[in-house]
Parts: sequence; structure tokens; C-alpha cells
Amino acid sequence: MNAETAVFAAIAAAMVLGGLGTVLARNVLHAALSLVFCFFGTAVLYLSLHAEFNALAQVMVYVGGVLVFVVFAILMTSGLGERHLRSGKARVAVAALLAGSFLALVRRAVSRSAGALALREPANDGFSTLEGLGRTLLSPDEGGALVPFELMTALLLAALVGAVVVARRTEEDR
Amino acid sequence: MTLERLLLLAALLFAVGLFGLLSRRHLIGMLLSIELMLNAANVNLIAFARFGASDPEGGALLSLFSIAVAAAEMAVALAILVSMHRRRRTLDADEINELFG
Repeated sequence: MNAETAVFAAIAAAMVLGGLGTVLARNVLHAALSLVFCFFGTAVLYLSLHAEFNALAQVMVYVGGVLVFVVFAILMTSGLGERHLRSGKARVAVAALLAGSFLALVRRAVSRSAGALALREPANDGFSTLEGLGRTLLSPDEGGALVPFELMTALLLAALVGAVVVARRTEEDR
Repeated sequence: MTLERLLLLAALLFAVGLFGLLSRRHLIGMLLSIELMLNAANVNLIAFARFGASDPEGGALLSLFSIAVAAAEMAVALAILVSMHRRRRTLDADEINELFG
């Protein structure tokens, strides 16, 4: 086993452990913290794939933004997360069955096309640099992504204003 | 690190998220599972951008857009949950059943 495989195995193990912690933890707050672990593992995976800017975005948006918001929501609604809800054994069994069959299906599809997948060459290392992505995002020419980028800003603004309006205390709550 | 292994890792993470979504009753726990599944889809996007894409930069961009949409979705979903908790005092998916005929 060479060094690269060992690194990948370590990252993958960390991500899967974080994911399992997220779905199995009784306490929701612990689940959210496990998800932080998993997302950090994903950022390291992106770094090892030379998608540097994506790794940064992963840490800043998910760990720094979304999960802080999640922790706030948990503290506001469920205390320290101790008010957990048990789910019945039958539900867990059905969920495990469905998720397991999904995994088996995808595994089969991937292993069938393993030959074609192995032929793909890695892209050059600079495919996710700040400069390259910035130029593409702000270029109005064909191949540039200026319009989707501006639409995304409008979407984020609308979502955040909408979130404030939805979560605000209204007359009928009092 | 091959494309095949990356796809298997993403599928495993997605299956874990699917299990959590189906087995949990706590609405925030279900949301966290959805985030896990979105993250698995993002790993797939980056994996295909890295290996054999005709436009790797486009793949990286698509993953950035997907992260932004996920953040917007999470903001609205958590606002709905906070509002729902204020009115109903519960986040149990089984107890929120006004639309159940």
C-alpha cells in the first residue's frame, strides 16, 4: 500500500466515522459535531484532490456557516440536545435495509464500469485555483459563469431574507 | 486514489445519510442527514471534475454552486423548524400531522 492509498484510507475512514456518528448519535448536538468532523474530512479530501478552493469553501460555508447555524437552532429548540426522540426498531431495520440495498446497487454499477473509470486521467493540478475560478465566475463571455453567479447572489439574499421572515415572532405567537 | 474508490466512498456516505434520514424522528437530525447526502453528491462532483472531465474548472464551479444552494436551503429549513418549534413545542416528525387526512 503506497502513501497515497494510506492517506485516502485515513480520510475516508474519518469521513465515514463522522457520518455514522451523525446518524447514530442519540443527542442531536453530538450529531451536529460529528457532522463537523465529517465535513473537515471532506475538506481534506478536496485538498488531496487539488481542489483547493473547494476545500476552503467547504470549511468556510459548511463548518463556519451552516453548522454554526444548526448548533444555534438546536440550542434554541432542543436545549443541549438531550431531548432526543427514540425511533422504533422496525423503522431502523427498514431504513438499514433500504440504505443497504442502495449501496449494493451503486457498488454493482461502479464495479461494472470499473474498466472505463480506470482509464480516466487526472486533470492538471490547477483546476480549482482562486484566480482561475474567479476569472470564470466573473467573465461574461461564453464559458464564463457571470449570469449564474449573479443569480446565486439573488438566491442567497432571497433565502436569508425569507429565513428571517419565517423565523420572526408574529402576532399569533403571543 | 482512483475514481472508483472515490465513487464508492461517496456512495457509502450517501447510504449513511439515507439511513439517517429514514431512521431519525428528530427533524434537525433528519436535516443533518440530508446535509450528509448533499456532501456525498459534492464529493462525486469533485471526483469527476478531477478525473477525466473535459472542463475540470466547470466541475469545481458546479460544486461551489451546489454548496451555495445547500446553504440557502439549510437557512430556510432551520427558520421553518424554529418557527414550528415555537408554535408546536415539538420537533417530532410523527407529531406534525395536520395534513394527514
